[in-house]
Amino acid sequence: MKFTLVIYGAPHASEGAATALRFARALLEAGHTLYRVFFYADGIHNGSALAAPPQDEQDLLGQWQQLQQAHQLDLVVCIAAAQRRGLLSESEATRLEKPAANLAEGFELAGLGQLAEATAASDRIVTFGG
Amino acid sequence: MSKNTLALCRQAPYGNALAREGLEAILAAAAMDQAPAVLFLGDGVFQLAGQKPEAIAEKNLRRNIQALPMFDVETLHVCKSSLLQRGIMPEALQVPGADIELVEDCGSFIRKFDHVLSF
Repeated sequence: MKFTLVIYGAPHASEGAATALRFARALLEAGHTLYRVFFYADGIHNGSALAAPPQDEQDLLGQWQQLQQAHQLDLVVCIAAAQRRGLLSESEATRLEKPAANLAEGFELAGLGQLAEATAASDRIVTFGG
Repeated sequence: MSKNTLALCRQAPYGNALAREGLEAILAAAAMDQAPAVLFLGDGVFQLAGQKPEAIAEKNLRRNIQALPMFDVETLHVCKSSLLQRGIMPEALQVPGADIELVEDCGSFIRKFDHVLSF
């Protein structure tokens, strides 16, 4: 079955962010397809390269990146939600004349059309946080 | 689109960014000819009531709501019991160009859709 996950929860703030990661892993292990993960609202913070949690806490960013590499996941961060909250790629930082970029490797910025497209293309949409 | 989708608007208009961002997602889908049905429920019904957000330096959500019928979301479904619980008279809800339809049994209404996007 084809899944798309929509994540509103910020990492280390909403348990939804960590639950989504475990759900993603479980569905891939069960042989399902993860069509897209769409990070929206406060969920965009999952794509920040600058998160530095204490060593004895789980590293959500590193785990997403590992999963992305292993399964070639499509990790999409909503560009409008990200701009509002200060999550920028190199090109966006340059375009908006901001001093730094912080979009983590393995994630990409894209528009809300990617959520609509994924809704049409998936058998299940599961929302986390919010 | 082949699947029919319902968008739920559950948040009060200015307490959580999801109220605005949900409407933006609905408008974006509608602009791609994938207009979902929309149901306002819980505190989301406050999105349709009168607002004066200038006092808290927020942009009025009304513009997004009023854009819905222009993007083919002509019927706005509203949970009747959510309105009554909050003391909002159904007559108080008026969106130019849109039909307000009260839903009595939200459970069976939601069950009719293939996908639910919850905002």
